[in-house]
Amino acid sequence: MSLLGVLLRIEALKAVKRPAFCVTLGIFVAIVTTYVVTVFSEKYGALPSPYRAVALPEGWRYILPTNFGPAFLGVSMILLFAPEFSWRTARQQVIDGLSRERVYLGKVMLLLVLVALFLAIPLLIGGGAAIVSPSEDGPVLVRHTEFNYMLGYTLVLGLAGSAGLMLAALVRSSGPALGIFFVYTLIEASVGSLLGRWSDALQPITKFFPLVVCDSLTNALLHYPELLASENANRAAYGRELMEFLDFEVLAVTALAYAALFLGIAFLSMRQRDL
Amino acid sequence: MTVIDTRDLTKRYRTGRGASVVAVDQVSFSVEQGQVFGFLGPNGSGKTTTIGMLLGIITPTAGSFRLFGASAPRELLAARGRIGATLETPNFYPYLSGRDNLRIAAAVKGVDGPRIDACLALAGLGDRGRHRFKTYSLGMKQRLALAATMLSDPELVVLDEPANGLDPQGMKEVREIIGVLADQGKTIFLSSHLLWEVERTCTHVAIVRTGRIVAAGAVQDIVRAGVAALVRAANEDALVAALQRYPEASSVRPSGGGVIVDLHSDDLASLNRYLAGQGIHVSHLARHRQSLEEVFIDLTGGEGAPMSEIAS
Repeated sequence: MSLLGVLLRIEALKAVKRPAFCVTLGIFVAIVTTYVVTVFSEKYGALPSPYRAVALPEGWRYILPTNFGPAFLGVSMILLFAPEFSWRTARQQVIDGLSRERVYLGKVMLLLVLVALFLAIPLLIGGGAAIVSPSEDGPVLVRHTEFNYMLGYTLVLGLAGSAGLMLAALVRSSGPALGIFFVYTLIEASVGSLLGRWSDALQPITKFFPLVVCDSLTNALLHYPELLASENANRAAYGRELMEFLDFEVLAVTALAYAALFLGIAFLSMRQRDL
Repeated sequence: MTVIDTRDLTKRYRTGRGASVVAVDQVSFSVEQGQVFGFLGPNGSGKTTTIGMLLGIITPTAGSFRLFGASAPRELLAARGRIGATLETPNFYPYLSGRDNLRIAAAVKGVDGPRIDACLALAGLGDRGRHRFKTYSLGMKQRLALAATMLSDPELVVLDEPANGLDPQGMKEVREIIGVLADQGKTIFLSSHLLWEVERTCTHVAIVRTGRIVAAGAVQDIVRAGVAALVRAANEDALVAALQRYPEASSVRPSGGGVIVDLHSDDLASLNRYLAGQGIHVSHLARHRQSLEEVFIDLTGGEGAPMSEIAS
């Protein structure tokens, strides 16, 4: 078996039998199911079936759990990686013959698998329900717009997962790593607000903050110009500031750069620090 | 063939504010193929840190080492594939069964399934392999660590305190397993502070104190290095007082049923004449064979190792 095959087999064996991960995944599946039902029930509550009006391809933007999916992925990554240090199993695997780089590579592969999983679950649950329901689906299941929306969600999953991987490698303990993961969401908003008050010139920088990038990439207003036009018309009517986003390509590259930075920091930590 | 060769291996830890502590200080020793090598020292003397550097989990601050002649990073990785090792406590996934834990270790080592069952059986865990690791007793955990160590049929077996938590029967079994491995021509590197265990098991030994090697060599040579005599007389107080004045005596200590005197020379006739001249007629005078425990205490000042452990 190839090295990648061995690493994947090891990570799979550890993950599928980890109760904390199974519970996390189970909660995610339950919430996605509830979310899909709730969203369409509210939107099309007058119809007899909550799924009746879920028409693809436009329905994808209601189906993907962009607001909580990345958080679940980050939490899963921390739960699956950080305890390897307190249990000293990462250390033992190096003793058994894996290099530190290969232990790290195994975690990157785990991250990729988790991204695929957290993308596939809502696609299967929501998409499956939409497809089998008697809705008036369009001629194609995915247009360029929806593909970009899914790509944006996937990039955000990757960013959140690599942040979880980095925190696990740096903090080496699940509890504190999870704490930092969630507290950061508060800190970033506060820092952005402070920068905005301090100087208007610094305001554009906040658009490159990780959470702002994540929020933009999965915001329907970025992907559907007609929605953005409608929203801005409303804002203009009430005299509020108009919404504008960076280009999708810029946001995508920024998200990839953050993910690469987080993975690079994790790599250096794995390579330099004693196990 | 030299299996382990260290040169001035040093590990310094920063403790903050520019201060640092030296855990391992210029340690140099070598282990030849087929030796059962004991690495002795009190708790906190740097044994585990030294092994950690050899196994690649701790980065040395200075010095160098070779495993099976290899010193370059890529070569060392290959050399470590010839080692079976367990460090400190058994390190396994608590939520996985013993067998699943060995499956992971086997996948890392490139070993197939039947070997897992053989090693589980050898460690006496054949019927508990499907139970979760966290339900194991400490002794069972130690045995599972031994089983994992033996998975890849390694040429060098490194065991760090393998008898920790084992009952006397378990310790005997560990000794027997080590004996079997040694008979198979494997090199054993055994770190322990259980002196009797090392003396019974090892052919060679290095004694480490506060990060430095204070003695190294064949166990018999280490034990023979000191000359001592056991002396008994009716008036023990007078005997001790006389021995303390004897110019050839380096130390005098009461021992159950007599007095042990460490000597600069092995001329017991002179000692007998000296005592007679002091008016002390001995009822017993014989060369005393030092145990490893006594050598260890002499060299380390008895630090670290509780007497119950030393004496057990």
